Order: sequence, then C-alpha cells, then structure tokens
Amino acid sequence: MASKSASSGKEKLIADEEEVLQAVILADSFNKRFRPLTTRKPRCLLPICNAPLLDWTFESLALAGVQEVFVICRSHAELVKNAIKESKWSKPGSGMKIVPIMTAKETFSPGDAMRDIYTRGLVTSDFVLVMGDLVSNIRIDEVVRVHKERRRTNKDAIMTMVVKESGGRHRTRARGESSIFVLDPETSECLHYEQEMGYPRKKLINIPREVLAGHPEVEIRNDLIDCSIDVCSVEVPSLFQDNFDYLDIRRDFVHGVLTSDLLMKNIYCYVAEEGYAARVQDTRSYESISKDILSRWTFPLVPDDNHPGGHIYDHTRGNRYIAKDNTVVLARTCNIGTNTLIGSLTKVSDNVTIIASVIGQNCTIGPGSTISNSYIFENAVVGANCTIERSIIGADVTIKDGSSVPRGCLIADGVVLGPNATLAPLERSRLGEDQRTYRLMRMMMILTSRKSKLNSIDKKSLGKDSNAIVWPREPPDEEDEDEESPENYKNQRFMRLGDNTADLELSDAASTSSDEETTSDDDDDVPEHASVSGLSDASFDTGVMQDAEFRAEVKQSLERAFAEGHSIDNAAVELKTLRMASNVPLTRVKEAVIAAIVEKIQLVDGDAAAQRKEIGTVIRRWGELINRIGGVDPVETVSILQVHCASSTRMSLFGQILAALYQEDIVEEDDIRAWHALPASKGENEDEDNEDEKLAVVAENIKKCWMIGMHMINQFNAQDSESEEETETESEADEDEEKKKKAKPPSAAAAGRMKSADSSGEDDSDSETDGSSGSTEGADGGVSGDQSDDGLSVSEDSSANPSTNASEDESEDLSG
Amino acid sequence: MGSEPRSAAAHRSVDVLASKLRRRQIVGSRATALETLLVLRQVIAKARFANIEQLVEIIRGVGRRLVDAQPKVGNTVRKVLHHIREEYHAATQGTNVAAKPTSFSISKFVLQGQPRKHAGPPKSSESKGTLRENDPHDPDSFARGLKPVLMEAIQDVLDELETVYDNISKNAKDHIHSDEIILTLGMSKTVEAFLKSAAHVRNYSVIVAETAPSYDGREMAKSLSTAGISTFLVPDSSIFSLMSRVNKVILGAHVILANGGMFAVSGSLMAATAAREHSTPVVVCAGQFKLTPLWNLYHEYGALDFGNPTDVLGFENGDLIDKVDVVNPYYDYVQPDLIVAYITNDGDHPPSSIYRLLKETYDDEDNEL
Repeated sequence: MASKSASSGKEKLIADEEEVLQAVILADSFNKRFRPLTTRKPRCLLPICNAPLLDWTFESLALAGVQEVFVICRSHAELVKNAIKESKWSKPGSGMKIVPIMTAKETFSPGDAMRDIYTRGLVTSDFVLVMGDLVSNIRIDEVVRVHKERRRTNKDAIMTMVVKESGGRHRTRARGESSIFVLDPETSECLHYEQEMGYPRKKLINIPREVLAGHPEVEIRNDLIDCSIDVCSVEVPSLFQDNFDYLDIRRDFVHGVLTSDLLMKNIYCYVAEEGYAARVQDTRSYESISKDILSRWTFPLVPDDNHPGGHIYDHTRGNRYIAKDNTVVLARTCNIGTNTLIGSLTKVSDNVTIIASVIGQNCTIGPGSTISNSYIFENAVVGANCTIERSIIGADVTIKDGSSVPRGCLIADGVVLGPNATLAPLERSRLGEDQRTYRLMRMMMILTSRKSKLNSIDKKSLGKDSNAIVWPREPPDEEDEDEESPENYKNQRFMRLGDNTADLELSDAASTSSDEETTSDDDDDVPEHASVSGLSDASFDTGVMQDAEFRAEVKQSLERAFAEGHSIDNAAVELKTLRMASNVPLTRVKEAVIAAIVEKIQLVDGDAAAQRKEIGTVIRRWGELINRIGGVDPVETVSILQVHCASSTRMSLFGQILAALYQEDIVEEDDIRAWHALPASKGENEDEDNEDEKLAVVAENIKKCWMIGMHMINQFNAQDSESEEETETESEADEDEEKKKKAKPPSAAAAGRMKSADSSGEDDSDSETDGSSGSTEGADGGVSGDQSDDGLSVSEDSSANPSTNASEDESEDLSG
Repeated sequence: MGSEPRSAAAHRSVDVLASKLRRRQIVGSRATALETLLVLRQVIAKARFANIEQLVEIIRGVGRRLVDAQPKVGNTVRKVLHHIREEYHAATQGTNVAAKPTSFSISKFVLQGQPRKHAGPPKSSESKGTLRENDPHDPDSFARGLKPVLMEAIQDVLDELETVYDNISKNAKDHIHSDEIILTLGMSKTVEAFLKSAAHVRNYSVIVAETAPSYDGREMAKSLSTAGISTFLVPDSSIFSLMSRVNKVILGAHVILANGGMFAVSGSLMAATAAREHSTPVVVCAGQFKLTPLWNLYHEYGALDFGNPTDVLGFENGDLIDKVDVVNPYYDYVQPDLIVAYITNDGDHPPSSIYRLLKETYDDEDNEL
C-alpha cells in the first residue's frame, strides 16, 4: 500500500535488477577458542541467549533481504546440516534459500574455504560474506547498494568491509584481535590495514609512504569494530585462488591486496552509523555480545521481540526476560537480578540469586545457589548452594551440591561436577573417563598422560562423582608457537572470558591499570624498564627482528638465485612475494638487494683488472634486478649503494660499481647528479656529533663516496664539453681518454681524497667545496676514525693505481 | 484445518508479515493495520470452511501468530472477526442486527446505554437464505456463498482505515479556536492531520516538544510550519514552565485501553501531568482501530516496549556502556483521569465511555485471541 516503509522500495530496486542477493556464511571458526565446549558441536551451534549463533546470523541476513545463502561447514558438518534442515529458515515462508556446502576436512582456513567457493562456482554476482557467528541488525542491503553504486564507476573496488564505530575500549571490541584501518575520509577507501593483537602489543604500525603521498588526508582509526561483514564482488574468491598462500581474510587477503603492487584493487570500508554488529569470536566477546543483546543494543533483535530461535520471552523492567509460555517455575524467595534471561521449563528454587546471566531451557537451579554473569546452556542441573561466576556451562551439565565454579570456567557438555567441587579460575572441564567414544577416549589419554600429575590433584577438586577431567591450562609446550598469529597463547588470554590479563599488561607497559588498556604511553619500553620482565624487550625488538630476518631471507633467496642462475624475472618475483609475506617497505627490499649484489662481488686483491671484470660481470648479470623489484628510483639506488658501501668492506669498489651501473644504464648521468645534489649524500647530517668511532668511519666513507661521485660528474661535464667539438680522430682519442677517466674516478678520487680532502675540494666548484671541507673538519674530531680511514685508504690506493690500466682494456672492450 | 495445501501461499504471507513486524520493517499503527487487513483478506479468500466456526478459527489462528509478533495488530483481527459475524448474521437471519447507530456522541451516551448482546452464532440454526452450513454434499457451498459478503466487510474496514485521518480532522475546528496555543509532542500522523485541518479555518500557534530521544518533535514542527502554522519547537524540559500559557494539549496515542487510559509516546505522561497541574485540558486524537479490549495490569507508568539504547547513549561511548544500564522505553502509560476526551473517527468520547465503545467494536469472545 501507499505507506510502505522505505525498505520495500529498496527491495523493489534490487528486484528490478533481476539479481538474487547471495550470501556466504563461513560456519566454521577455524580456531579452537571455545574448546572444550566445541569438542562435540561446532561453534556456530552454540547458543547465545538460547538461540544458536547460526540462527542469529540467518536473522541478520534475512533482515537485509538476502535470498540465497550458502553455508560452508567443515567440522561437525552433519550437525550443521541437520540444524539448518530443522530450523525455521528452511521452511518455505522464510524467503531464503539455504544451501549447506560441505567442504573438505583439509579446509583449514577461511582462505581455503574461499578457494572452495571458487572451485564450486557458487557465487554469480556480488555477495555478502559473513562468519557463522555474527549478531547484527545492520542494514546490509544498504551496504550492498553502496557497494554496487561504487562498482559502477570503479571496477577495481572489489570489497566493502562493514565496520562499526565503538571507541577504543568498548567491551564488544575484541582486544585479542582487533584492527587498525587507514581510511580516506572522503571516499572511505581502506588504504591500509594492520591487525592488532593483545599480545604482543604493537607499538607502531608501518604505513606505506605511497598511502601518505597519494592522499591529502588520511584517517588512522583504532576505534572500529570489525564486524566481518564483507560485501565482495565475484573476483574475490578467484583472488584467493590465485594467491594460494592467503589464509585469513583480513590478515592475508586485505593486507595483501592493499600492499600489492600487482593487483591494483581497492577495498572500501562502510562505517555503520546505525545498527549493531559484532562477532562471537572468542569467549570474551561471547559474554559482551550476550550482554549487548540483553541490554537491547541489538534491537529489534531482542529476546522478547524477534528471537531467532522462535522462543517468546516476556520482558520486564530491568531487562529481565522470562519465557512466556508459563512453564518457568520461580520460587517465591528467589532473586532474579537485572539483565537476565530464563528459558522455558526451567525451575529456580528457593533463595537462588541470578544476576546478569542466561539460563537455558529446562534447567534446574538448586536452593541457595548464586549464579552471576554466567551462561548456562539447556538441560543443566545446578545443585544446592553452588556458586557460579562468570562462566559458561555447557548443555546437560550436572553441578552437584556445594560446588564452586569461579570466573572464566568453561564446562563442556555432559560433565558432572561435585559434590563440593572447587575449580580454579579459568578452568576448562570436559568429559573424561566415562566417555564411551573411542576417539575422545584416545584424546583424553593423550591429555592425561601429558598432565598426569596435574590430573591426580584435580580429581579431588572436581568432586567424587565427577566424570570430568581438566583441560590442560598451561601454554602448549610442544606446539610451534607462532607469535605472529593471533592464536598464540598469551594473546588468547585476551580473548578468554573472565581473564583480566592484568599480569600481561603489567609486564607489557609497566602501567598501573589492571582491567583496561593502558593509555599512558610515555613510559613504555625505555630500556631501564627491561628489568620488569623479558616481555617488554621482546615486543620492542620485534620490529628490528623482523627486519633482520627479512634481510637474511632476501640474502638466502638471492644466494640461491646466484648459485642456480635464475633469470632476473624469477628472482624479482620471488623477492616481491617475500616482501609481501614479511610486510616490509620497498626501500628495505632495495637495500637488501643492493647489499646482496655488492657482497656478491668478490674482492680480488691486488689485481685491479680482475676486480673490474668481476664487478662488470656481476652488475651486468644482476644489476637489472634492482629496477625489477619495483619502484624504479635510480637516485635512491645510488644513495643506498653509497650507504651500504660506507659501512662495508667493499668501500673501495663504490666508484667502480657506480660506473658499472652507469654502463648498464641502471643509473643515468642525471641520476648521479641528482643524487650528488642531495644533502644526505654529502654526509652532512651526521657529521656533527659522531663521537662513536664506527659512525664516524661510516660518515667519513659516505663523504668519500660523495667525492667519488663528484669526480664522476666532473668527467661528465668534461665529456659534454669535449663531445661538442666533434672531430673524428679527436673524439676517438677522447673517448679512450674519457673511458680512462670514467673508469678512473674511483681510483683517482679515492686516492686524491685520501691525501687531503681540502685539496680535492679546491679542484671543484666553490659552493661544493664549502660543504665538503666543513664536513671534513667536523669528522676530523674523531682522530682514531681518521686513522682507520687511512688504513682503509692504503689498500684502496694500492688497488686503485693498477685499476687505471685495467680500465683502459675494459673500456676498449666496451667501446669496440 | 483441512485447507492446508491451498492456503499455503496465504500462510506464507502471514509469516512474511509476522517477520516484518518483528523486524520493525513496518512501523506506525495505520500501516500495520492496513497490512494486517490485506493479509487477512488474502487468508479468507483462500480459506476453505464449511461453517462459521471453522472460519473464525482460521482467522484466530492467523491472529495469534501476528499478535505474537506485534500485539497491536490484534485490534484489526478482532475487528474483522466482529464484521464477519455481523455479516454472517445478516446473511442468515435477515436484517435484524443491521440497525446499528453509526455515530456516537457524549450527549447521546445515556440513551445508548446497553451494549449489544452477542449470543454466539447459533450453531445448528438452519439457514433461511441460500446459505447452508455443513452441507455434506457440497462442503464449499457455504464458503462460496459467504465470501463475497466477507470481502465487502473487509473492504469496509479498509475504507474506514483509509479515511481515518479525514474523519478525525473534520471536527478539528470545533476543538481548536482562534489565538489558542496548543501543545503537542512526538510525530503522530493523526495529530498532524488534525492540526493542519484546523489551520484552514483558525489562526493559532503550536508548541511542539522535541520528544527525546527520538526527536520526532522536530519533524512535526517542520511539517506544521511548512503548512503555515506558527510553530515553536521547545525542549522537553520546558513543558512544565510553558504549560501555564497553553490552552490545550493534543496528543497522539499508540493504543487506547479498555479503562480509558492509553499508551502514548514517552513524554506524554509528563505533559499530561503538567497539564493537570495547570488544569489544561488534554485531548487525544486517535483512530478507532487503536482501541484495545485490554487492561494495563502490570505497569504503573510505562509500557513494555523498550527500544534501542543507542538513541540515548551512543554505542561508541565504549567504556561507559559496560557500566551503565540504559533504558529507552517507547511508550508511557497515561491514566484515564489525566485525559479529558478522545477524538476518534467515530465521534468524541470521554475516557469513561471507552469500555462501551469497545463492546460496540469487538466481540467479547475475541478478547483473548
């Protein structure tokens, strides 16, 4: 009729385009954060507020008018399939067509799942990609509309990520695994993406300079909840197919696409102003999302209005939700606190206190028990006088009289505890001895054998009737601890329910706050603080470590290339991959490559001709690689070469290498001039306060290199003026002469330079002299440095003189 | 019911409407009522029944599903049931029920005293006309005969809904006089139409309260001022202080209860209480479809529809929301003694006569669907 809401108009719009809106749900978590709750059913079937997570996800999609849903299931796929078949969504009236897709057991990551989607050819147009643990009331159809609009003008906008503004310390913002987005405020294009973890904490992020150069204004945002709702175009699965090493959608795919020089694709963000969206990605967010639902932030997706499980709840003041079918038995003396949900058929006895908790269907709570901030699944029985605090209790659990379950415990389905069991905080229990399934039995034996000592103690604390064993709680010792992945043990603590991670933060930044993230950054990681614990050093060093590691990698890769004689193209591709994998800026790669090439040149003592030849071969063979790795910038190349030579034993070869690069057209005359004009090339910046010997040497060497460059330029000048005269015979002679000179600069400059900086300076134009002489004086302060210079220069001289002769041969070869 | 296969499409449309209501994709009383009517019409058109009980049961079944999703649609279902029975009696027993006075007013209240009795439909009464219930030879004959009449009845309800604003506002000039100052709050389509209609003949001013946290009042003020009414937009907090200057408070209603009280946008209770302090009359404009045969038993001041706290406290205030419980009730309960009169499309009524209006509109047996 006339007064239909705006949404129907939108639906009509989508219908006009004759396109079915498709969605893909990744119904597997690909991690084990909810264990042991998830040993017997997948995470997406865990109930939150008494409805399976998958139903919340379906509801979120139904709200957006999605018509076709593919559910990618891996672990416990049969369970998921049955759950879908029995749910209200598979009824004809739901308006959604749900297709469960069983993927292979070898699908270990979201990336693998995406590749599976590609090979099956499931999606035909732009689709919505969500995880199977999403709770959202955001108008995804609006995001799709924006995405399609953008695609019309920009075909490279392959993805739109939905993010929600939340502020840095929001309870729903996952602290173990959050994100930093660099956005263009105008277009909300995502320019750069970094993952942030609770541990190790990032102190700095690297933003590629192209991002800053290309955009007049950027926003770097750390206050967004990543809802994991992505509107993807059809290319996205194929990109996963092409890049077989992409595992995670954010860490690998988004980061990879944004830093790639080859793909040239754009990813955009949609900062949701209205609505709610969050993922149950760990037990901590399980708690916060439960709270959000109970305090109605997800409205109208609330238990009394639009409960995805189809239950009907009565909402009374203070956000108390009681099942409406009159089957709940509440004793007269029980105390139901605020923000509580009680499922149907549940019996609550006398003097029970329930605060801010969710009680499933058909539970029994014995007299005198106290339950606070806990989540109890269906059919659980809690005995008399139990205390349960901030824990998750699985389905069919029996907790006998007098037991105490302190904060952060996860108790798996079917466990019996007590009587008088006392668990330690953050304990996880699961079925033990009585378990009949062989497979579980075997797993258990592995566990018990590993933790046999621990277990014998725990047996007592679990109570005499217990069939449970305690999940190993120490960090896994045998597994390869990958600090880079968010699954490392310490970081997982940030994701755990009830773990305030006070100790981690204390050691991390020496801050005083216990429960909240630290905001004071002034005192972090001054070396003095290292005494607090080793942790701070580790986190401080990661940047440097990475760098060193990367250099080693490049070196190895190039050594392999040198040894096996790869083509330059192949070597370049390998380096590019390496760069993406380790996420380093282009300059770093260049440095590493130049260093490797320079080190590749063997020092030939005494035989300058051979040395020259050696340089020539190496540069001819590999010099091109410097440009092939991307970002052709010869001026930078020369600078890097200079810096490297200055600190290397191959200082003496700088001139020759530069000459060789010139011969190979890797650097042009103009580039050398430009480099020469740079103040940094002169070594001016560092010369003032170089007390340190080593640095002084380096500075001195840098200046030497600059002088060499100057000689070269002089020769260029000379060449230019002479070539103007253009006589046949002369020119030939000149050429010889010039080649000689050209080859000479290293030797001549080195020799001349060593004797007296001033004298060589006088040869040149005045303006440059000032700078160089000034700098020399400064460097002279370090006497010992000079001496060591001389030591170096002697060897240079010795090699330099013969090299003049050698260069003649060489140049003749070249000119001929 | 034996009519499942044919009415599958109808059931689907009920489900679609129910989920739309749950998702709040349809908001506004009139829009909801209209949608409900359309769905009911579809259901009846597709339904197969051999006697009136079966038909009523089908409609009740649909009604229950819709009421679970959104309680206020129950009124529309009850109204349809009432009309069906009426048509049924008319068809089977001639015209003895048809003489129903259509207009009520306070003055005639005493004369019209007793509510009409409905002794449920005579079960085994042999029909006089062509309609034969439970005909074993042709079970569809009853449905065939009755359906056109039922469609007509539903069309009547539809027409009433579509003209509800016009009917309410046609008496506007009798309630608003020149140079009066009217206070209103929220964005009620009914009130908007009422005020605009009065503005054709009268020259008066309106004070609109902002009505936090939805701030619907701003929209209302914009709409009124574009219609040429001199409008003041004030914060909610100044309602009391301005009340001494106000001649009349005109409110919209969400639901009118059997005791003459009502649920209205939150803030209404404050305005009504302030009005009583100053003995300012409070008048409520509402369509008759908002009448509900229910009582407010459990809630002294509020209704049970709590919205999203985001309107009150932004979600981005991360560290606060963990420590603060935010409550955003949609509706206030306004007691009958705070209200002077209801202006409906069916005449003006004091709160004390609402119960009688209810008896006229709905059948007692439908109070619980």
